[in-house]
Amino acid sequence: MNLYRQTITLFGIIVPVIIAAVIIGGCYFLRSEMIASFNNKQLNYKSYEQNRIAALDVETQVVRNRPHLDRWNQSFSQETASAVTTNLREIFSHLPPKEIQQTSFERTNSTGGFGAVSAQKSSQIRLAMRGTFRTLQRTLLELETRMPQLQLMELRIDPSSNQSALLNFQVTYTAWES
Amino acid sequence: MSTFQHPASLNPLQQYGQACSILANTTRASNHAWYQDALDLSFQLHIRPEGPCISCFYFDQKKDQWSLGPLLTDEILSDPAKLDAFIAEAMRFTRATGAKALGVILHIADDFAITELKPEFNNPDSLHDLRDAALHDPVSILEDSSILKDQASWRVLPYPATGSDVIGTTVTISLQYAPLFAIFREISERQNFPIITHALSAPLVAIMGLSDLLVSKPEKPFVAILQYPWFTTLAFFNEHSDLRLIRTLHHRGVRRAGTLRNALFTTNASLEFIDPDIFVVPLGRDIDSKLEANLRTTYPACRVESLGMTLPEGIPAWCPEPSISVKPSAKTHPEAVMSHTFTILREEKWALQNFLPIPKEIEEIYPNHSEMRLLRVLRLSRVVLFAITILCIAYLALGIVEMLRRREWAFDVKETETIKVRLAKLNAERQKSDHWDNLLQDRSKAWTAMESLSQMFPENGGMLVKNYSHTCKPDGTPGRAKVGFVKEWKMNGFARDEALEYLNTLNTREGINSHFAKIARVTANPAYNPVIGNRSISVNVRTQENVRFKLSPAEEINNSDESTYPYSFDLTITQRFEATDPMAINVPAIH
Repeated sequence: MNLYRQTITLFGIIVPVIIAAVIIGGCYFLRSEMIASFNNKQLNYKSYEQNRIAALDVETQVVRNRPHLDRWNQSFSQETASAVTTNLREIFSHLPPKEIQQTSFERTNSTGGFGAVSAQKSSQIRLAMRGTFRTLQRTLLELETRMPQLQLMELRIDPSSNQSALLNFQVTYTAWES
Repeated sequence: MSTFQHPASLNPLQQYGQACSILANTTRASNHAWYQDALDLSFQLHIRPEGPCISCFYFDQKKDQWSLGPLLTDEILSDPAKLDAFIAEAMRFTRATGAKALGVILHIADDFAITELKPEFNNPDSLHDLRDAALHDPVSILEDSSILKDQASWRVLPYPATGSDVIGTTVTISLQYAPLFAIFREISERQNFPIITHALSAPLVAIMGLSDLLVSKPEKPFVAILQYPWFTTLAFFNEHSDLRLIRTLHHRGVRRAGTLRNALFTTNASLEFIDPDIFVVPLGRDIDSKLEANLRTTYPACRVESLGMTLPEGIPAWCPEPSISVKPSAKTHPEAVMSHTFTILREEKWALQNFLPIPKEIEEIYPNHSEMRLLRVLRLSRVVLFAITILCIAYLALGIVEMLRRREWAFDVKETETIKVRLAKLNAERQKSDHWDNLLQDRSKAWTAMESLSQMFPENGGMLVKNYSHTCKPDGTPGRAKVGFVKEWKMNGFARDEALEYLNTLNTREGINSHFAKIARVTANPAYNPVIGNRSISVNVRTQENVRFKLSPAEEINNSDESTYPYSFDLTITQRFEATDPMAINVPAIH
C-alpha cells in the first residue's frame, strides 16, 4: 500500500520544482527585460558617445572658423556695389591720384561666371581703371582682401592710347552674396 | 499513541505534512528496523506463554547467545503499570547491548485450534491465495460459517503429503495477546524506538523443528505428539516424513487429554497407518511425564520414543520453539531429517506466520519503507534543487548587478536627443562655414594674376607685352555637387633674341609648372600650386618674326618701341581644375 506516495511525489518534488521553475523563470524574465532595456540604453549611450565625440570635433572646427565666419557675415551684410564703392574710395584715398583712376563701375544682377553654376546668390561687378601696374595691383590686392567674396572672372590690360605711362584695366568679378 | 491520523482522513497537503512530520520526528527513515521482521532483528525478546507460566528469553543474534529475559507473569500482564515496567526493562536491556531495535516474538503455547477449510478450496494451486485470504478475509475460506473475523486469527497450514484428502487446514489462535502487542507498539512509538512484534504458534514451530528432533528418518508413518500443559497436538506424517494431518486435543483442566488414545486409534485407522512410530515431545514445564510409558503399553507394536533436542545454553529442554524459530534454514545439521514438509514450513514460512500482525488501519498511518526512502531522497533532492535555484538566482542577480554598475544603465536617454540636436546645429554651422570657405577660396584673384604677369615678364627681360587678358569660367556639368573651372591667360607681345630661350622654356610642362609653383610660393595662393588636387596646366607659345622690326644701334634702342624687337609672340596658358579638385565650386546654396 502506498497511500503517501502520490502526495509525497506531488508536494515533495513536483511542487518544489514548479516553484523553483517559476522563481528561476521569473528571475530570468526580469533579467531578460533588463537586458533588453540595457541593450537599448547601450545603443543610445553608444550613439550619444559617438555624437558627443563628433560634436567635440565639429565644435573645435566651428570655434576655429567662427571668427572668419563672423567676418564674412559682416562683409555679406553690406550691399555688394556699395561695399565695393566704399572700399575703393578708402583705398584710393591712400594712393597717389595720378597713378590710379576709376574710369567706370557697373553692377549687374545677372548671374554669370561662377554664379551661373552655383545655387548660391551672386552678382557681377565690372570695374574699369586706368593707372600704373603696381598701383592697380595694390588696389586690387587691398580690395580682394577686404572683400573675399570677389572672384575674378576676367581681367584685361591694355596700354593707354594717349598716356603711355598708364595702362587700361578692365576687371570683372563675381561677388557671392548671402 | 501518537497523534498521527490515518491518511484517508486527511487531505493531500495534510498527508504530506504528516509524512514530513513522521520523517522529522521519528527514526523511521534512519532506522530500517522499523520495517524489518522481528525474526530478522539482531536483538530479540522471545516470550513463551504456555498456560500456567510464561518464559522470557533474550536472543543476541550477532553473538548467537541466549539469556534469561525479565520476569513476566499473568499478574504483570493484567497490570498496565507493571507491564510498562516490564517493557521498560526490556528496552533498557536492549539499549544496553547497543541494539537499535527489539524484536518481540511471542510463541503462543497455550492456545491452538484447528478449523477446516471449505471443501471447494481443496486445490493445491490455490494454497497461496488461501494464505492471503486467511489474513484478510478468513470467513470466506473457512468451513465454519458461524465464526466472526474479529474473534481470532487464522493461518493456513498445508498438508504436503501425497495422497492427503485435503490440501491443508487452518490453525486458529485467539486474540488474547493482541492488547500486549498494542502496548509494545504504543511504547515503541512513544519512545521512538523500534519494537517489532511477531506472534508464532508454538506447536507449528515445534512441528517445523521435528527435523532436528528426529534421530533418524523414519521408514514408516509416524505420529508426533506435542505435549503442552493445556493441550496436546497430534501431527501425523507419512513414510516420507510429510505431514498428512494435525489434530489438537485440549486437556480441559486435566494433565492429559482423555481422548488421546481414541484419537490416535481412529486417526491412524482413517489414515491407514499401521503401527506407526510414535514420538512424544514434551513441551511444557509441568506435563504428564507418564505418557510415553502409557503409550508403550497401549501400542506395543509401535516404536514409542520421547524426543528431545540439544538446545543452546539458556534455553530449557521443554522450550525449544525460540531456538527453532531463529534457525536460518531447515537443514541445521547434517543428520537433520529433511522432507518436503520441513523444507516448505521454514523456507515458505508456513510455520512462521504472524498471528498478530499490526492492524492494517494502524500500519497504514505510517509511510511504508519505500515511501520513507522516497521522502529522504526527495528531501535531499529539494536541498539540491534549492541550491540550484539559489545558484541560478545568484547568477542572474550577479548579471543584473554587473549591468546596473555599468555607466550605460544610468544613462538618461533624453541626453541622446540633446546631443543629437547639438550635433545637428554644429554640423549646420560647420556646413555653412565649409560652404563659405569653399566659395571664398582664393581660386581666382586679380592681384595674383598680375603678379604672375609681372613675374613672367620681368623688366629688361627682352620682352614687351602688348595685350593681356585673363578669364576664369566654370566648367560645370549640371546635376553635380561640385563643378570645376578653367582659367585662361592670353598674352601677345614682342621678344628679342635673348628672350627666345626663356619663352621656349616657358613653353614646356616643367617650365610653366615651375612658374606657377613660384607664383604659388610668393603669393601663398594655392590655386597656382600645380602639384596638389586634380588640376592641369597647358601652355602654348608661338613666336614669329616681327614684320615691323628695324635694326637700330644699341644706344638707340627703346624698350617700349615695338620695332626694336625682332620677334613677336603669342602665349596662351590654360589651367583646368576638375570637379574633384579641392578648389572646385560648391553648387548647393546655404542660407
